[in-house]
Amino acid sequence: MASTVIGAGITIDGEITSDEDVIVQGTLRGKLVAKDAVTVEHGGVVEADITGGPVAVAGSVTGNISSNDRVDLQNGAKVVGNVKATRITIADGAQFKGNVDMDV
Amino acid sequence: MARTTGRSDHGRDQGTLGEAIIGRTTRVRGRVSGEGNLLIEGNVEGDIALTGDLTIAEGGRATSSIEAVGVTLRGELDGDVRASGVVRIEAGARVRGDVLGESVSLEEGAEFVGRLDGTFDMPSELGGEGRTGGSKRR
Amino acid sequence: MADPTLIGSGTFVRGRITGTGDLEISGRIEGEVTCSGEVVVESSGIVGASISARRILVRGAVKGDLVAEEAVILEAGARVVGDLRAPRIAIAPGGMVRGHVQTGAAGQQAAPRARTAQATASKPAAAAASSSARAPAKAVAAPTATAAASRSDSRGDGKKQVAPPARAATRVGPPPPVVPALKKGTKALQKKR
Repeated sequence: MASTVIGAGITIDGEITSDEDVIVQGTLRGKLVAKDAVTVEHGGVVEADITGGPVAVAGSVTGNISSNDRVDLQNGAKVVGNVKATRITIADGAQFKGNVDMDV
Repeated sequence: MARTTGRSDHGRDQGTLGEAIIGRTTRVRGRVSGEGNLLIEGNVEGDIALTGDLTIAEGGRATSSIEAVGVTLRGELDGDVRASGVVRIEAGARVRGDVLGESVSLEEGAEFVGRLDGTFDMPSELGGEGRTGGSKRR
Repeated sequence: MADPTLIGSGTFVRGRITGTGDLEISGRIEGEVTCSGEVVVESSGIVGASISARRILVRGAVKGDLVAEEAVILEAGARVVGDLRAPRIAIAPGGMVRGHVQTGAAGQQAAPRARTAQATASKPAAAAASSSARAPAKAVAAPTATAAASRSDSRGDGKKQVAPPARAATRVGPPPPVVPALKKGTKALQKKR
């Protein structure tokens, strides 16, 4: 399936709804609902609730993350918000402030 | 049909199938109408109504409302076009007016100011038939 | 160099998209797009937004205005309902548009349209149209001026002075024609008494 990529120089003020992978390298303020994988790359800034399949964060997320799969906070990630997932990893070097809910 | 000075009509019948030419040094003021095609190399001021095709050559100029089948613009036009066929606005043309045609193409390099009103449907997400045009003209 | 932004065919973005870099739209957008690079609306793209960019290429459907610093190009299959404005505009055969199209720098006003001799016959509206920049003034001046002119004619005063100010008004601004109009109004009021 194709990917949607929000490039580094782009800012979206609004909602993204997708049934494919979404990769955020730029800035999103609003809401993100994806049926598939969500990746917030290093340098990506998301000020929004994220709902998706597996979520991997190496950038900054301010908002709740709700996944029906796993959530991985990688080295360099900065997440402020609650995380709901079936599995979660918080790597050394990732910053996280929020609740974790693994009840599915 | 407009006649030009010093130009034969190429031996063709000027009735239904002929092509009339308004030569480079000719100037017509008044309504031009007829059957067959018309090539304007000179200057026309006045409405043009043809059952054939109209071509304004490079260097030609018309200040006219045009009704024709096919229209090819390489010169200058000040006025509206209503074509039942294909309108081609080529690079080098300078057009000011509204254009309506079965199909309208605009080559990069052409100068154009006016409306284009194609007839087509839009996807339902954008309003379906979408008869309304763009933002209001100032 | 930043990766181009790709809005995939299964994605719907509702909101404002701004920034630098190129943008390739195969999905759906509703809102506004302003970008300093090149925007391509692919054949599956459905854009309900005005697009402002350096260069815009459309193969899909757009409902909104397209304004570019360099060029707007519509390829066969493009469907656009909206205005196009760019120094260079190309519409391939099979590209469809419904809207105002203007080549030349984006900031320019629409050039005055000369009509055939019959159309330009003394209509204040037509004269006013030639100074499109003064649109608000024209809207106010024209009705007043026409009213004043017709009143003077009907009274048979032969006061030609009303007509020139009317035409001048459309060029200069509202104040001049208001004075003669008030005079006429005053007399009418006196009549009513």
